[in-house]
Amino acid sequence: MGFFNKIFKSGGEDLSYVLTAPVDGKSIPLSEVADPTFADEILGKGLAIIPSSNVISSPCDGTIDLMFDTGHAVNLISDSGIEILIHVGLETVSLKGKHFKRLKETGDKVKKGDPLIEFDREEIAKEGFDTVVPIVICNTDSYSSVKVETGDSVKTGDRILSVEK
Amino acid sequence: MKTFDYTVKDELGIHARPAGILVKKLSGVKSNVTIEVKEKGKSADAKRLMAVMKMAVKQGDVVTVSIEGEDEDSVFEDIREFFETNF
Repeated sequence: MGFFNKIFKSGGEDLSYVLTAPVDGKSIPLSEVADPTFADEILGKGLAIIPSSNVISSPCDGTIDLMFDTGHAVNLISDSGIEILIHVGLETVSLKGKHFKRLKETGDKVKKGDPLIEFDREEIAKEGFDTVVPIVICNTDSYSSVKVETGDSVKTGDRILSVEK
Repeated sequence: MKTFDYTVKDELGIHARPAGILVKKLSGVKSNVTIEVKEKGKSADAKRLMAVMKMAVKQGDVVTVSIEGEDEDSVFEDIREFFETNF
């Protein structure tokens, strides 16, 4: 077995099934999100981040399946097939694009860490919205498990979630 | 196959949450259910969350819902009422 095999096989894990934090902040379980659509996992399993920065970055290499024209949410499909929804704030669809700037569009190929959305979390909060960012796996049923790492402060790019076939 | 047309009244259209509750509603339904906005030439499997969201259905869009399968009769009434109540 060569040196590189050893590195890639360490822990026996395929990193294409790992997602990283799209934003700095504190990671919390979905059950603590004050919206039953997320808390009851209607959209899928995942976690949420209470953001402390204002840019959403890609959690994986993949394609933007849908950039909502309001910029308040984005759907991505990872190169390994994970369907991911990142929703910036709760009920923020009703802001109709105010305080959000789309940095990528539907159909764009992205690399892990590429900036996708810029948002003004202070202004969004000032208007009375919860700025929590749920990250959910829309095709949860395709996986035997979705493991999340919560309860910590995270930096953009830190590992937060992994799925198993 | 049974179909009905529905004009979306919700001013925000079928965004993430409504797409989620629709897919949830259809889990357990045996029939194939598709939604189509003919004017935009788009259609989707209504049981697939990302596909439904990608339709980006807006207020005023006419959605054609098609239900085909062994439970289509009971599902038809149920889903039509669901659209009227939620969208």
